[in-house]
Amino acid sequence: MAIVGTSTRRPDYLDKVTGKGAYVGDLEIPGMAHAKVLSSPLPHARILRIDASKARALPGVFGVLTAHELGDMDPYYGSDIKDRPIIAIDKVRYEGEPVAAVAAVDLETAEAALDLIDVEYEELPVIATMNDALTDGAATVHQSNLCHESHYEWGNTEEGFAEADRIFEDTFTFPMVYHYSLEPHTVIARYDELGITVWDSAQHPFLVRNELARLFGLSLNRVQVVVPYVGGGFGSKSYIKIEPLAVALSREAKRPVKLAYSVEQSAKTVRRHAASITLKTGVRNDGSFVARDCQIRLDTGAYADNGNRVTDRCADQVPGPYLWPHLTVTSKGLYTNTGAAGSFRAIGGPQAAWASESQVDMIADALGIDPLELRLKNLGAPGDVIRQGKNPLDADIATGLKEAAKGVGWAGRGAKPVTQEKETKRGIGLACSVLNAGASPTSTALVRLHADGSATAMVSTVEVGQGSKGVMAQIAAEELCIPLEKVGVVASDTAIVPYDRSTGASRSTTLVGLAVQLGAKEIKQQLLDLASKHFEAPEDKLAFADSSVVFGQESITYAQLIRQMFGGPAGELMGRGYVTPQTEGPLKGLPVFWEMAVVGAEVEVNEKTGAIRVLRLVSVSDIGKAINPKQAEGQDEGAAMQGIGHTLFEELIYEDGQLLNPNLVDYRVPSFEEVPDGFETILIENEDGPGPFGAKGIGEGPIAAVAPAIANAVFQATGVRIKELPLTPERVWRALQAGTSGGHKVDALTEG
Amino acid sequence: MLKPFQLHEPTTVEEAISVLGKFGDDASVYAGGTELLLAMKEGLLSYDHLVNIKAIPGLDVVDYDESTGVLTVGATATHRALEYSPLVGEKFSLISDVEHRVANVRVRNVGTLGGNLCFAEPHSDPGVFLLLYDAEVELVGSGGARKQSVEDFILGPYETTREPDELLTTIEVPRLPEGSRHAYIKFGYHERPSLGLGLVARVDNGTLADIRIAVGSVGPKPVRVRNAEERLRGASLADLFGNTQSSALLDEAGRMMAEAAEPVTDLHGSAEYKEHLLRVFLEEALEEATRG
Repeated sequence: MAIVGTSTRRPDYLDKVTGKGAYVGDLEIPGMAHAKVLSSPLPHARILRIDASKARALPGVFGVLTAHELGDMDPYYGSDIKDRPIIAIDKVRYEGEPVAAVAAVDLETAEAALDLIDVEYEELPVIATMNDALTDGAATVHQSNLCHESHYEWGNTEEGFAEADRIFEDTFTFPMVYHYSLEPHTVIARYDELGITVWDSAQHPFLVRNELARLFGLSLNRVQVVVPYVGGGFGSKSYIKIEPLAVALSREAKRPVKLAYSVEQSAKTVRRHAASITLKTGVRNDGSFVARDCQIRLDTGAYADNGNRVTDRCADQVPGPYLWPHLTVTSKGLYTNTGAAGSFRAIGGPQAAWASESQVDMIADALGIDPLELRLKNLGAPGDVIRQGKNPLDADIATGLKEAAKGVGWAGRGAKPVTQEKETKRGIGLACSVLNAGASPTSTALVRLHADGSATAMVSTVEVGQGSKGVMAQIAAEELCIPLEKVGVVASDTAIVPYDRSTGASRSTTLVGLAVQLGAKEIKQQLLDLASKHFEAPEDKLAFADSSVVFGQESITYAQLIRQMFGGPAGELMGRGYVTPQTEGPLKGLPVFWEMAVVGAEVEVNEKTGAIRVLRLVSVSDIGKAINPKQAEGQDEGAAMQGIGHTLFEELIYEDGQLLNPNLVDYRVPSFEEVPDGFETILIENEDGPGPFGAKGIGEGPIAAVAPAIANAVFQATGVRIKELPLTPERVWRALQAGTSGGHKVDALTEG
Repeated sequence: MLKPFQLHEPTTVEEAISVLGKFGDDASVYAGGTELLLAMKEGLLSYDHLVNIKAIPGLDVVDYDESTGVLTVGATATHRALEYSPLVGEKFSLISDVEHRVANVRVRNVGTLGGNLCFAEPHSDPGVFLLLYDAEVELVGSGGARKQSVEDFILGPYETTREPDELLTTIEVPRLPEGSRHAYIKFGYHERPSLGLGLVARVDNGTLADIRIAVGSVGPKPVRVRNAEERLRGASLADLFGNTQSSALLDEAGRMMAEAAEPVTDLHGSAEYKEHLLRVFLEEALEEATRG
């Protein structure tokens, strides 16, 4: 393979580094109006009255949308749970919720019109936290404060605890964090008699299309979703967000409307679920895991968004990559009066792995067993069923974990690295988990071989920064045996490219890449038919090389074959790629593949200030086959850095329903300062994945394992165990203050 | 969203003062805008008129008078200009040391020392070094010019003694006493500093002959801690580090710093934690500034 497996230059790099690349915010549609949203200043209130008459009368205003204008439709939407109104109806559920929207000739006029809208509220009790949501007799955000509950079990956990020698019970918390993609939510919507067109910053264009068609009563062919470059997503642009609002406003204003959110509005639109996870784990003295009971609470905020799936998926991650004879998991997604929570890179994974992998180290410490050995003892092996009813494990976690341990210098339980500075201490920690990746195997692609032998791959994968356009081209070029520069990729326009479910869950290279490969293979079959006639030779005597079909010493180019077929320099061949649960190969059942999450970290803790420096971070991903190794490493490093963010300092702070830090001055994301001096990605390539050339997806794994690896390293360094994130200097300092008096502490340790 | 405003570009100080006088509270001086425009975009501040003083020739001066030993920094001299000035580096190395660590390159390129002082954002570095130098500001208004120490000029968060029709024109920075050494410790993980501790020390014959201490970012404004300076002056270096007696002395100085700085609990941390850090960094800064 000459093209696949090579770190070719991505086709969008020049567009992006020169600023030429167009994002939705750069687009201008003829006749376009500019929109502004009036946000609720209150986190929970009844709307008694809205008077927008003065705003409507302002010159330059084309339309004002309030709940009143939606009387002719069912205005509730969501990825599964349809609980979110296009615009607030009768009450507001979070501070920042759109109450009215204005389309005007320019932003200044729209802003001026907002000041003329009069809203009268009656304040309601604020459900600020999950504890508030669970309080008997508390006010409710919706019909109840329970958004979704998920439960599963196997074995008999009570009997398991009776068999255990030791039982550990701990509660871990995970903060609300925001994705902070550079581009906030932005959409241009045009609603007219022909249907709907939206130019959208979205990860799932076809799911946006489907939901808009349902909401506005149109057939699928009359809704077009066009996605240009997207300035980062990480899940924040999955499913459907502000598109219905923009479309409804366009309908009202009778012209195209651009709605561009600020960072603050976007941070209130979607975030990651805060979590509280209580783990009760029974083990034998030799370290064998026997039983686990887990209670999860997740804060989904004012609306479900994708909270039901996150609730399910977080529950799914509780066993980790281990074999549990007895397991009971209950997961509850709760409504509160805060901005909604939805998908975020490795949905539900970081929360569950934070709890589970921290506790595994606590168990190792209490039993006097090396944490690496304890993990290896309990890990599932490839082929083992680690979740009942799901596909068996297809990743070799043990090898990955040993690689990470070696890479980060793990030398055993007591062997911690030394530091020269008197006030600092060093430690190493490990963590591993496994993610249920790929979402569902529903992807298609169309490959076109043109009359000159060049090709176009048409896919719906969104170029969200991950480098999909280059990778799809590499796959098509390799399979078609043509040069990379002869392949173009057309992506993410639902009126042009064929269906794909979504860009997320580490799925695109595996599933859409497979569809591209299948499409290219279908073209090759057509070329074989043509060449077989041309050479009057059987297909099995033919081969492909350098844009040609070869028969012995003779060869004919693809271009010549196409011209022969169409009788002139015209025409093209088309190849279809369908990936469905019935596709030949290993796509039966779920997940599509298990994504390894393995991280080793070395940290230095300043005991006087509590500040942590991550000195070394090694992550291991099982990629099957790296189509573009450099981009794969970039994805893996990106996931690790994003994990460092929620580990060390990221947290959205809500106080009584008001978000206190909706900007980068008060909410810190990792910068180059935080890149560890030793930062390594190890890619395992066994060419055994279900994707093209044996590939399988990566790009999420490390984000699930970074936090516990770092906290475990902090424990090795200082002997202090912290169960809350982020590990800010003050939190670490306080833990050190509390810990130095009591020494090592394991909470609620009971003898079984 | 940034609301429309009228931009004035005077070319003399007098013209600037006259525009400021005319529009009063409706106008703000624009001297780089790194903080002003952010606050205006967020809707926290709103002005119909911005007076860009960067077009006034000579107002970005960085000049040293050998005879008086005073550095004159014009109101529109950027952080970057101070960071890279060979003159400042040679004779006022504390300034270049701190300026090198102010915010980020983009802010340092357009942000000015004068603008920083007048905005009086509490989470900020420059106030601390100016207090250590006993620097003065010169303000010119319709009624004439006046001078005031930086210490008195900054009243609290976003508050100075500057009148709406006054323009800060220059900052005058006298040299530190011969033989002084400095340390500046900056701590925090947010975009703005959570703590800045500056210390200037002169060691003579193994004792702390002179010391100046200033603290910023933890409380409402940067402060000099003169009683702590007093307490530490004359202490012998041998006694300062590494025994219980010295620890008690540093504890006491640390408490004085906390008292003077009035740490507040905010998103950067609790007052208690900040008090603890002051004590930790006092020792660190002292060691750095007195190290052989």
